[in-house]
Amino acid sequence: MRDAVSFRGGWLAAGIGLLLLFPLSSPDAFFLDVFTTGLLLAAFAASWDVVGGISGQITLGHALPFGAAAYACALLTSLAGWPLPLAVAASVLLAAVVGAGIGALSARLSGPFVALLTLALGEIAHEAAVGNTLLSGPGGYAWGGEGGIPVTLPWQDPPPFSSYYATLVFLCLATYGMLRFSRSRAGLILRAVAGSPITAQASGVPIARIRRLAFTVGSAFAGAAGAGFALHVGRATAVDLSLELSFQAATFAAVGGRGTIVGPVVAALVLHVLFQGLSLPSSARVLLYALTLLVTLRFFPGGVVGTARTLASRLGRKAGPRPPRPNGRNRNGEGTP
Amino acid sequence: MNENTLLSAEGISKSFGATRVLSGVTLSVAPGEPVGLFGPNGSGKTTLVNILSGLLLPDAGTVRFDGKEITRLPLDARYRLGIARTFQIPHPYPALSLHEALDVAVNAGRSKEGGGSGKDGEGPVEDLLERTGLFNQRFVPCAQLSQGCLRRLEFARALACRPKLLILDEIFSALSAADEGDLTALLRAANRDEGTAFLLVSHNPPLLKTLCGRILVLEEGRIVRERTK
Repeated sequence: MRDAVSFRGGWLAAGIGLLLLFPLSSPDAFFLDVFTTGLLLAAFAASWDVVGGISGQITLGHALPFGAAAYACALLTSLAGWPLPLAVAASVLLAAVVGAGIGALSARLSGPFVALLTLALGEIAHEAAVGNTLLSGPGGYAWGGEGGIPVTLPWQDPPPFSSYYATLVFLCLATYGMLRFSRSRAGLILRAVAGSPITAQASGVPIARIRRLAFTVGSAFAGAAGAGFALHVGRATAVDLSLELSFQAATFAAVGGRGTIVGPVVAALVLHVLFQGLSLPSSARVLLYALTLLVTLRFFPGGVVGTARTLASRLGRKAGPRPPRPNGRNRNGEGTP
Repeated sequence: MNENTLLSAEGISKSFGATRVLSGVTLSVAPGEPVGLFGPNGSGKTTLVNILSGLLLPDAGTVRFDGKEITRLPLDARYRLGIARTFQIPHPYPALSLHEALDVAVNAGRSKEGGGSGKDGEGPVEDLLERTGLFNQRFVPCAQLSQGCLRRLEFARALACRPKLLILDEIFSALSAADEGDLTALLRAANRDEGTAFLLVSHNPPLLKTLCGRILVLEEGRIVRERTK
């Protein structure tokens, strides 16, 4: 057991170490931007996993809390003149409220109905932000449109790599927070609801409330990533609310392993850096994401982490009984807590 | 309603489309009373159980428990109130171990997400695992359990809230003689030692006669007979 923990810890330390050392390779501005955006997307993908993986509510509107926080951050700093920390805190809070609202609307739904509802909500917000359908027109008011709304930053020439390292720290903290949540009793109850809602309800779990909690927590983290993204690119645009972004998060989670938090983080980083780093046009990237998703669902339905766990479990059975985890939650069979 | 009534249902009716499944069913269960519910297939037993446990709303009629009207109270709230049910076909959590499944049942009712009255911690979970003979398999995923173990798990889950009333829907069906014997002993112990009343739905008249002091016979959506020991 100690070996397994140190093995996982070793991989984690190696990954963080590589990311810490990456700026030493003197990357150009383009690659630094690709990596920084990848770190933010990784946090966003993990936040999708809280909703779509842990609680099993497949959302296709996860860009809504992300974009809402990005727009709130931009509007509060540039139009309202709020101090940046206050604007970011308010943006995250707004994302959580948006998530609670989506959760309340979708709590009694399941499966494709959740996906359709969240898709519709996300698209309404996206169209509103683009300003083509609801808010523009002759004499109308377009609040941003394709160009977006700028974020007023309190600094002008930040030190090199400061944005990258700040984002890396944010990703580590956010991932740790989401992992803690997923391994808490609330996380266990969410996994129960995802596995069998009727048995969970017959065990005293108010499933509507617990699903709303998942949307609220996942959306708060998505909002933090959205605010971070607005700070990084310097503006909030309609792309922050796009279906493509929601689809990307779902793809990262499926490829990395739904319900694992760490899997989507790794998948988001690797796939984004790979596809974006190749400077492919947007349409080609969408195609590649779709192909990756199809291959994963067909051949590795558990994603990278799920497949690795299955293989490790098979190898473990061949090697003999495995001792339990220290918290007594060994899912492989033997031992005492 | 008698003061010494734990659960009472009055004039329960339910239709699905043009099909009338229950027609003015009235029944009561006293605290600690073992009651059987017998009837042929399609007589409305499971629909009645679903209404009594909060899974379905009746078209007409009222359900009262411990003096409170609970007709519109959902399944989870009734569990926290002390009405626990098992399912004819268990729906286990595929990714959770037995220990985790019971942890949910023991603690969901009392956590912020739930808010009920179960005890916290590992103790009650271990106790339930011991009582139901599942302790050695506590870390096995529910998806890998045999039918007999799933029924035991259903029973343990129902006991987790220290219920005042157990509603058991065909819990003895498709069990080996050994499993049936063990579950019978567990049910008797819960009734004798903790004063837990139960409403046992079964197709097995000898079993009902052995376990229940009173047997209600449901036919075509009506209680047509009541037999007392």
